[in-house]
Amino acid sequence: MKIAMIGWEYPPFKAGGLATHCYGLTRSLTDKGVKVDFFMPKTKKSASSDKDNLRIIEVGETEIFPYDRPDSKEIGGNFFEAVYYYNRIVVSKVEKYIKAGNNYKAVHCHDWLTMKAGIEIKEKWGIPLVLTIHSTEYDRSGWIYPNQWFIDIEKEGMKKADKIIAVSHFTKRVIVDKYGINPDKISVVHNAVYPIPKGHKQGIVLFLGRLTIQKGAEFFLRAASIVKNFEPETKFVVAGDGDMLPRLITQSIDMGISDKVIFTGRLTEEEVKHIYGISSVYVMPSVSEPFGITALEAISAETPTIASKTAGFSEAFKNCLRVDFWDTDEMANKIISLLRYEPLHKTLAKEGKKEIELFTWDRVADKTIDVYCGVI
Amino acid sequence: MASVCLYFEVHQPIRLNRFSVFNIGNEGSNLSYFNKKLNQQIFEKVAKKCYLPTNNLILDLIRNYDGKFKVSYSLTGTFVEYCQQFMPELIDSFKELFRTGSVDMIEETYYHSLSSLYENMDEFEDQIKMHNKMIKNLFNYHPRVFRNTEAIFDNRIAKKASEMGYKGIITEGTEKILSWRSPNYIYKPVNSDIKVLLRNYTLSDDIGFRFSARLWKDHPLTADKFAYWINHNEGDLVNLFMDYETFGEHHWEDTGIFDFLNHLPREVFKHKHIDFVTVSEAVERYEPVGEIDVPRAISWADEDRDVSTWLGNDMQIACFNELKNIGSKLKEKGNNELINTWRRLQTSDHLYYVSTKGLEDGDVHAYFSPYDGPYDGFINYMNILQDLKAKLF
Repeated sequence: MKIAMIGWEYPPFKAGGLATHCYGLTRSLTDKGVKVDFFMPKTKKSASSDKDNLRIIEVGETEIFPYDRPDSKEIGGNFFEAVYYYNRIVVSKVEKYIKAGNNYKAVHCHDWLTMKAGIEIKEKWGIPLVLTIHSTEYDRSGWIYPNQWFIDIEKEGMKKADKIIAVSHFTKRVIVDKYGINPDKISVVHNAVYPIPKGHKQGIVLFLGRLTIQKGAEFFLRAASIVKNFEPETKFVVAGDGDMLPRLITQSIDMGISDKVIFTGRLTEEEVKHIYGISSVYVMPSVSEPFGITALEAISAETPTIASKTAGFSEAFKNCLRVDFWDTDEMANKIISLLRYEPLHKTLAKEGKKEIELFTWDRVADKTIDVYCGVI
Repeated sequence: MASVCLYFEVHQPIRLNRFSVFNIGNEGSNLSYFNKKLNQQIFEKVAKKCYLPTNNLILDLIRNYDGKFKVSYSLTGTFVEYCQQFMPELIDSFKELFRTGSVDMIEETYYHSLSSLYENMDEFEDQIKMHNKMIKNLFNYHPRVFRNTEAIFDNRIAKKASEMGYKGIITEGTEKILSWRSPNYIYKPVNSDIKVLLRNYTLSDDIGFRFSARLWKDHPLTADKFAYWINHNEGDLVNLFMDYETFGEHHWEDTGIFDFLNHLPREVFKHKHIDFVTVSEAVERYEPVGEIDVPRAISWADEDRDVSTWLGNDMQIACFNELKNIGSKLKEKGNNELINTWRRLQTSDHLYYVSTKGLEDGDVHAYFSPYDGPYDGFINYMNILQDLKAKLF
């Protein structure tokens, strides 16, 4: 079986969970004998493959990212045109491979950015389209003023796809309720994680993610301002970059906790692993979280995790703490409890690590192959 | 088979209010540890679905079979307090049952606690005496058979019960203590003179757990089928011990559980030579056939049949130790109000909610828990224990 997969990011280049997913999925697929041609944009750090069945094919440059918004400054008014342009060059690249004799059984796209290309290939060449939805416009906007332009692209892609993979039941419900898609063609496949080693815990409470409205870092800071009154030795780390960074820094100064909070900016892969390892608590206060792969990463490093009640991963995961993202008192209650009560910390770390072992890319690949088999 | 001994455990825990770290030592907040509203709601719901209709049915059965249908009950102190507060007619109903002469009352710790596992057994003894006084007041009766919380049992507990004058004690008929031997006889502990009644867990769980399980090969369970199984069990007596909430609450009325109970006496009496006995009659009539040696505590809970249900992880052990240590300090101080609060916090259910056991048992734990998982249960309970500790100084 040969699959044309159209992605956006792939390690070492990484802006979010999409890269992690594509990396884990493609490697496990090829281990199971599926041949994958992975099409992605050229980046500064070139991606490469050490697997025979996996080819990474670079398509040309682009300046758009899957998490970009049309109002983001660097892209300005050319945003929509840049998206259409990139999709066109993806189509011509894939067509070149088809004409060269590659018999793709399915074309598999991830999220909105390359849906147009997927649809065009499906319609022109009759190759079934599989779509994985990692997040929707509703998630990325935090359900505040979602942009209709994205929604229209997503809706068209979902309607025309032969099968959809949702990363959680939460996301499946959004696809059914907000996009009007038949639930029968949606399969839920929860993400997985490559475990990260545990480090020497240093009483750090960690936020790690894009600093956008979706990820809820402001709630993390509010909880931090409560925690510091009870556990004054605690350090808080906000790791990541995004359009909300200046506002968050101002917020921490206004709340009088700027001496307790470290903003690291964007971290490298190695730094991310390190910070997961040495943190004592990971908090994921996302306003909307289709899955939340970072929570699994933190838990794999034996860092107990407090996550939004609606986070997709927690549908299938027992050994974590849950809060409403807006309930910063309860978030602080749980952070303090984790810092104070060693048996709680120890049990969550131990049981979480055990449960994480069920979340393998091998399982994700199996379920994805089931979906492929349903369309060919 | 000669006798059938039915015993029902009747207990409701005192569920706790949400208590955050910010409430610890905060005198001004005046937040009670106990969630009266929730407790009343659940109690009234279970009373309507289970306690009242089952009491009525059993009373009818005793009358219809001229007192030959017999049952035994163990009522916890917390259950009786709920009756007194919210539904006094339920107490009257138990009194009426007791007056038939076909109903026996069993002793246990007033608070359904784990006090039997403290190194010092004074608190355990105190709670048994409290329960004894309560039963005396309600029924003018001194129970002759003791059963510890969730049938927790070891040599030490058996010896204590024997020293306190009980003729019989109840526990689980597990292979751990019996190996090849049958639970359908009376045994005697190696270190004391008391008769041990062992739960026949297969037949008990057929009713208690499996009755409404559609995937079970013997579903639906009928009274005649069950009576046939009883008759084919060899031994002196088959002990069917279960939660009273089995009827109408764990298995809803539409599963046919009440019909099952209604027809059970008739089907059992179809087999000649079988009768029903109370726990007191059982220990009077039958003699031990062998000894059991139980150095490590067993219980009737979960698949493990030991105390790991309450002390199976670090969080549970931390709470248990904290609770125990607070107690010894409280008693030195002699503050009765705080001692009363401390005792209410000893109800074993608080630790049950903190269990992290997976798979099947975990689902049972989740069914009973008022929390979103064991970790929330731990945080809430531990916060309350910290607050109680703060009141000591």
